[in-house]
Amino acid sequence: MAKTIMIIEDEPDIRDYLMAALEDSGFRACTVEAQANVTEAVHKVMPDLIVLDVMMPKRSGISIYKELRNCLRLSKIPVAMLSGITVRTEFMDNGFRKLVADDTIAPPEGFVEKPVDLSAFLELVGDLTAQSK
Amino acid sequence: MLMRPPKELDDWLKHHLFDTVPMAIAVIDQAFNLVYANKAFEQMFGPWQDRKCYEVYKGRDSMCPQCKGAVAFQNGQPVVNEEVGYNAAGNFTRYIKHTTPVVDDKGRIPYLIEMCTDITETEQIRREYQLLFDQVPCSILIIDKNYRIVKSNERARTMLGDLEGLHCYKGLKGVDHKCSECTARQTFEDGELHTGHHIWRTLDGQTIHLHVITVPLRLSNGTFDMVMELAVDVTQTLKLEDGLKFAHTFLETMITTSMDGIFAVDNEGQVSIFNPAARDTFKVGPDQKVSRQSLAGMLPEGFMRQVDAGTQHVYLPETEVTDMTGAKVPVRLIGNQLKIEGGSTGMAFSIQDLSEIKKLENEKLEAERLAAVGQTVAGLAHGIKNLTTALEGGMYMLSTGMQKGNLERIQKGIEMLRRNIERISMFVKAFLSFAKGRQIKARVNNPADIAQEVVEMYSTKAEELGIQLQFELPQTLASAVIDYESMHECLTNLVGNAIDACSVSTDGGSRVTVRAFEKNGTIIYEVADNGCGMDYEIKKKVFTTFFTTKGLGGTGLGLLMTKKIIQEHGGRIELESEPGQGTTFRIRLPRRRLPQSASDGEA
Repeated sequence: MAKTIMIIEDEPDIRDYLMAALEDSGFRACTVEAQANVTEAVHKVMPDLIVLDVMMPKRSGISIYKELRNCLRLSKIPVAMLSGITVRTEFMDNGFRKLVADDTIAPPEGFVEKPVDLSAFLELVGDLTAQSK
Repeated sequence: MLMRPPKELDDWLKHHLFDTVPMAIAVIDQAFNLVYANKAFEQMFGPWQDRKCYEVYKGRDSMCPQCKGAVAFQNGQPVVNEEVGYNAAGNFTRYIKHTTPVVDDKGRIPYLIEMCTDITETEQIRREYQLLFDQVPCSILIIDKNYRIVKSNERARTMLGDLEGLHCYKGLKGVDHKCSECTARQTFEDGELHTGHHIWRTLDGQTIHLHVITVPLRLSNGTFDMVMELAVDVTQTLKLEDGLKFAHTFLETMITTSMDGIFAVDNEGQVSIFNPAARDTFKVGPDQKVSRQSLAGMLPEGFMRQVDAGTQHVYLPETEVTDMTGAKVPVRLIGNQLKIEGGSTGMAFSIQDLSEIKKLENEKLEAERLAAVGQTVAGLAHGIKNLTTALEGGMYMLSTGMQKGNLERIQKGIEMLRRNIERISMFVKAFLSFAKGRQIKARVNNPADIAQEVVEMYSTKAEELGIQLQFELPQTLASAVIDYESMHECLTNLVGNAIDACSVSTDGGSRVTVRAFEKNGTIIYEVADNGCGMDYEIKKKVFTTFFTTKGLGGTGLGLLMTKKIIQEHGGRIELESEPGQGTTFRIRLPRRRLPQSASDGEA
C-alpha cells in the first residue's frame, strides 16, 4: 500500500512540484495549510511522513513542529524539514537547537535543503517511510 | 523754741493747709474708723465718712491680713510702704503710704495719720521701660568703668546666663584679660558711640557672632561712668551670607565649566553672562564683547523677542544659530525670562551644540542601514533558493509532462517557469532600489495628510474585500519635516499588509484601523488589524530578511524598506502580534530626531 506524504509548504509552486514528484514515484501526496488547526488535519490523515517548510508567513514550521512533537499520537510520525535558510549539516548540528531551545524535543528525522536535490529527496522519503509500518 | 508764724499764715496753715496739700491724708482711730480726711483723700478714694479704713482703701469687709496700722498702734513707729488698692472709680491703684502715729500726753496712740501718694502712672511707665529693656530684640549689658557687668536685660540673661558682677571679658568670652578690640573702652575714652563685631560664648557653650553698639550712659549733668552695650545676634545672617557666597561660587563654577552654553541679557540690554561653551558655539573670542543686538542676530529670528514677551520658557529642541563666522550650527535652545517677584529682570539662555550629536546620529543611521543591507543579503540567499526550487519545479513539470505527453502538466510547468522568472525580476528591482539607499527628501508636511491619503487609496480595495478600513485622528497634528513619498510608501506597505492579513481570515468582521497621533513630542502612526496575526518565529524575521507572507505576490522587501525609511527619519517601528488576534505596527517619529528640511540640506 502506498505511503502517504503530507507536504506543508506555503509556496504553491514548490508544493505542486514536490507533490507531483512524489506521486510520480508511487507515493500518495497531500497537503494542508499551515494554519492554527494544522494538527487537526494531520490527525485526520495520519500520514507516514510530514515534509515541513520552516519559514511560512501565517505560521512558522518550527511552531508546527513543536506542536506535533508535543502531541502523543502525532509525535511518532517522522518529519523532514524543508528550508533554504541553512545547509543540512548546520541545521542538524546546532541550527535546530537555536530555533527550539526545549531539549526534550528531538531534532527532526530529516532535513531537505532548498533548492531540492530531487533524487536525494525521494531517497530520504523512501528511507523514512520504510521505517514505519 | 518754736517761732510762731504770723497770725494770717498761722490761720492758713490751720484752716487750709490740710485741704490744699497734694496728698491724700486721713486720720484713723484704734477701731480703724476713718475719723477725718482731706479733700485730696476724698478725691482719690471717694466717700469715707462712717467707714473703716480697709473698706475704703481695699474694698474689704474685714481687716487686712498684714495690717501695718495695727503694728504702728502697737509700737508707735512711723511706717512707709507701697500699697495697692482701689480708687474712687473702683480702679486698681498703686500708692505710697506714710503712716504716722499720733501720741498723746500720756503716751497713748489714739490715732494714726495716713498720707498717700498715687504712683500708679509712674509705676506703669517704669514697668514699660523695664519691659522694653528686657524684651528689645538685642542683648543689653550695662558695664562700669572697671568692666564689670552691672546690669543685663532678660534677653542677655536667657542667652548668656546671669553675668551681673562679672568682668565682661570673663563673662562673655571666658578670658581673664581685657580684649584688644573693646568698644566699651573706646566709649569710656572718647564718650562716643562705637560699633564692633564680637564673638561670645552662650550659656549652652555655643559660639555666636554679634554686632555690638556701645553708648555712654550719661547722667543729667552730662558725665558718665557706665556704658550700655547693645548686641544683636548676627550668627544666622552670617550663615546666610556664607550660603549666598557658596551659591554664587557654585553657580559661577557651573556656568564657567558647563558643557552647554549659558548666556544672559539684563534689562539694560547688556549681555551679562556669556560662558566659554557659548563662546565656542558662537565662535566668539575670549575677550570679544557681545552686544544684545549681535546676539539677537545670531539666534533664530524672533527668538529673543518671543522669550522677552513670554511668561514661560521657550524651548526649541532642534534649531540653528549663526556663529560669528556666519556658519549655521545645529543646536538645542532654551530661553527663560528671569523673574523676581513677578517682575522681569532679564533673560537667560541655555544652548546645546548638537553638531557632534548630529554627526554621531548620522553615523549610527548609516551603520543601521548597512546592517539592514547585510541582513538582506543573507535573506537574499534564502529568497533565491525558494525561487530556484520553484524554477526547478517548473522544469520538472515541463520535462515529465513532455515524457508523459501530458499537455496539462506541460502548461503548468511553463506557467510556473514564467511566473518565477517574473518574480526574479521583481525581486532584483526591489533589491536594487533598497540597496541604492535613496536620499530622503524631507520637507515640511502635515503627518496626518499622509495617513489620510493612504487610507483613501486603499478604501476601494478594502470595501471589495469586506474589510472595514478606518482612519482615526484624535488630535490635530502640527507640521513636521517628513519625506512625504517615503512615508507614504511605509504606510502603504503597512496598510497593504494589514489588508492581506485580514483577507486570509474567513470569519468576517475584519477591521484595519490607521491612527495618527502625537505623544510627548513623538509622532505616532499605528496600523492595527484583527487579521491572522503572527507567531514568534515570524515576528523575529519580519524586518530582517527577504521574508514574504504573500506567497508569489511579495518580494519580502516591503517591511525592510519601511524600517529603513523610518530609521532615516530618526524613528523606529514596533510590532505587536498574536496569532489569530491580529497585528499592530507602530511607527514612532520623535520630532527632535526628524531630518533637516531638504532645502536647508542643499543650501
